[in-house]
Amino acid sequence: MESGPMSVDSAALDPPALPEDGANEPKYGGHSRFELELEFVQSLANPQYLNYLASRKFLTNPAFVAYLEYLQYWTRPPYLKYLTFPTSTLKMLELLQQEKFRQDIISPDLAHAMIMEGMKTAVEWHREG
Amino acid sequence: MEQDLDSRFERLEKALGNMIDALAKNNPSDKVAEELLAAEADLSESLKLLETHQNNNARIQQLRQETSLLDTQIKDIASSLWNMRKELKAVPTTSNPPNGAKHQFTTAELLAYARRISRNTLPLPGVTNGVDMTATQPSTQPADPEDSFRLQTQPTQTQTPNASFNFSFNSTVGTPAPLSAATPTTTTANDTQPTTQLPPSQQQQQHPPKPPAEDKLPQHLQPAVNPLHDATFHPWPTEAQIRSGALASIQRLADSGIDPKGYDPAEEERKLKEQEQARKEAEERARQEREAAERRMREERERMARERELARQREGGGGGLERRESVAVGRAKPKQFTFLGADDDDDDEDED
Repeated sequence: MESGPMSVDSAALDPPALPEDGANEPKYGGHSRFELELEFVQSLANPQYLNYLASRKFLTNPAFVAYLEYLQYWTRPPYLKYLTFPTSTLKMLELLQQEKFRQDIISPDLAHAMIMEGMKTAVEWHREG
Repeated sequence: MEQDLDSRFERLEKALGNMIDALAKNNPSDKVAEELLAAEADLSESLKLLETHQNNNARIQQLRQETSLLDTQIKDIASSLWNMRKELKAVPTTSNPPNGAKHQFTTAELLAYARRISRNTLPLPGVTNGVDMTATQPSTQPADPEDSFRLQTQPTQTQTPNASFNFSFNSTVGTPAPLSAATPTTTTANDTQPTTQLPPSQQQQQHPPKPPAEDKLPQHLQPAVNPLHDATFHPWPTEAQIRSGALASIQRLADSGIDPKGYDPAEEERKLKEQEQARKEAEERARQEREAAERRMREERERMARERELARQREGGGGGLERRESVAVGRAKPKQFTFLGADDDDDDEDED
């Protein structure tokens, strides 16, 4: 069976090489896999983007779900320190592992509520205790 | 101990009594006296023992006190240890403890990371001023969430300076004052400017207490100098950022039919530039070669002309002269061929 990019049978990849030792990595449009996956995993922190992905039926695609599971390497060192939106990225990555959330985020109301909550928390988290 | 002491006392008393009796009867005897001495020595020895005993007792008491003190200390330590243990147990820990080796990092790295993420974890102080996060209801604008989340500084700015401007203007110049807080911002600002431009003397007469907002920019110019004007904050990448990212550029490549794998736009551009450069260089070289060839040809032609002339000169001196003259005439008059024959004839005639 052919294992295309959106097939579950794609070989499980190792996390990409770190920027400092990935000098001769293959490039995709001028960017390394590390850069692209870092950008993507952080884009997932945007509830609107997730809503968009859900509306395009990406979140129900088993291959995409497997990719989301693979992306969890960002929760561990040495990759963790490259996240510039750590809080929302890690939370979303965690939520995206749950099937219920992947189904629910298709609702614009939920996306909106998440945006509200996210903004509110970002403004107020440091005022607690 | 006490019994021993008592018996010795009795012995001494008895010996003393015997002695006193003996003295009273005026019948002292050595035996009684010796007995008294012995009893006295016995008692003093016993007293010494008693002293030691008392000392020891005091020491025992002291030690007991010490031990009780130490005991309480131990109890204190034990109880504080217990409390500490309880506190430690009460400290919340992550449910998933890190497995595997711990990742080492330095303070400098940590601080650098904190600095890097700080602009995404907390909005700048001015951005959230006076914005009530609870005011916006999620259900009011579900279609366009983006606008309702713009945390702008403007609402806070529009109030105080505006009010004071109105106040100073109305009270000093004494206009009938249709200006109120509801007046559009631009009119207020424009109307206020003449106040500040009044001649100094007049200004002082009219309003000695300077309006407090005098040194502020007019309202409509304030956003221009406020770096936080229209600033927004999102704790995640915005749609615009996602749209201008690497993934979007790859999508564009794919849309235009290029396989992004192994395709580097910068590299391509560099190659294109190199090709262009090479083309230009080749053109330049060709041009130079052409010029050189032309020059060579011209030189060759000149050389041949010179050789021909030399050959002609060698053929005969007259011929050469003739030729030179003919050239001179030719230069002066364009119609050289018509005169050449005549010239030749003249020369011939001269020679003749």
